[in-house]
Amino acid sequence: MDKAQIIQLLGSALAIGLMVLLAGWARIARPMPRLTAQGARDLLAVEFPDEPVDAVWIDGDGAGLVARSGDQALVLWRKGDGYVAREAPLSRLSEARLVDGRVRLKLGDGAPRLAVPNGVWPPLELRA
Amino acid sequence: MKTFDPVQMAIPFFVVAVFLEILLARLGKTKAHYEPRDTAMSLTMGLGSTIAGLFTAGITFAAALWVYEHRLFTIPMNAVWAWVALFFAEDLTYYWFHRLAHERRVWWASHVNHHTSTHYNLSTALRQTWTGGIAGTWLLWLPLSFLGFPPAMVAIQKGVSLVYQFWIHTESIKRMPRWFEAVFNTPSHHRVHHARNARYLDANYAGILIIWDRMFGTFIPEVDEEPCRYGTVKNLGNFNLLHNVFHEWVGIGKDVVAQPRHALGYIFGPPGWSHDGSRDTSHTLKAKWRARTSAAKAREDTAA
Ligand SMILES: [Zn+2]
Ligand SMILES: [Zn+2]
Repeated sequence: MDKAQIIQLLGSALAIGLMVLLAGWARIARPMPRLTAQGARDLLAVEFPDEPVDAVWIDGDGAGLVARSGDQALVLWRKGDGYVAREAPLSRLSEARLVDGRVRLKLGDGAPRLAVPNGVWPPLELRA
Repeated sequence: MKTFDPVQMAIPFFVVAVFLEILLARLGKTKAHYEPRDTAMSLTMGLGSTIAGLFTAGITFAAALWVYEHRLFTIPMNAVWAWVALFFAEDLTYYWFHRLAHERRVWWASHVNHHTSTHYNLSTALRQTWTGGIAGTWLLWLPLSFLGFPPAMVAIQKGVSLVYQFWIHTESIKRMPRWFEAVFNTPSHHRVHHARNARYLDANYAGILIIWDRMFGTFIPEVDEEPCRYGTVKNLGNFNLLHNVFHEWVGIGKDVVAQPRHALGYIFGPPGWSHDGSRDTSHTLKAKWRARTSAAKAREDTAA
């Protein structure tokens, strides 16, 4: 790398920093209201259109949900201003330990920390 | 080996355009959503890809030069007809590169980087791969030099195409005039390309001209009843930069180790291919979507 390239690199890095700051300041991310029962159903219909939903549990923050579909758990959680969807065997839920009112579900490349307000995990409605 | 590089020239314009899109969206003058971590990822991918390109540029350009030495014809760089011919030839090459990059997993592993944002704004255009050199998709442009287009000329036209594709990464333009939508790749066509809705998968591979998709049957129009949802079928679970760059390569590696007898399928099959059919490909997703829509229609018809 010559000097001009290094200057260009530093300039680009600075420009990136400024653009990210501006994006944060502008507050133009998608609005993310607390999940309601209806909102949860709508999300499930989009992300798991072919899976029948037997029961839905919404976490204490209204930012994640776990649905029971037979012996499968359908999990959706907030990442940035969107949701990530993953599926896992229902039995995996009980592997998660409740710490300070939260469980951390390990789902491959994501690990949502869901708030469990009443301290009961897995929630009664998700037990088969 | 310093040649004129349209992409380098356009970088200041890219920066100004992103600033303007954010400001106009903030003022409510245009439609755009930016999430800072997503923006940071896109822009860092852009900068990183120019650095990654430095490492492979020598080899890819040398390969093009070697092929050019064995060329069929000698095409002059200063003739208008030559540029017109290259415009079409390069754009057709881009179409097939891009189609391959979506339909075969080993090339998808590199190109998926461009598609991992759940946003569609000007910063998304800059989310470029770091592993294109390894994936070897640049080989597809060698026939142009074999035909007789000077490698520098091909490199310039590739850059022009990349710069063209910047402005179409926006939600602020709904539709261009009808004649333009018919011939050129537009924000509307490319939104469909970035959508993860089953009905929109594997469509609109165009670079500059949308005519190739219309010719080869991969064109899908954007319909207002179904807004595009952006990203990949299985959206990433974190904002980790290295995960974004390498996740599909790692996925291929794991599958090949687990099922060595099916290695070819996991490498060269379509993304989502599995030896036991336990995963979804865009074909199965589209089939399920068609089944759902026809079932819904049948229900409507019996109700009516
Ligand atoms: Zn693509
Ligand atoms: Zn794109």
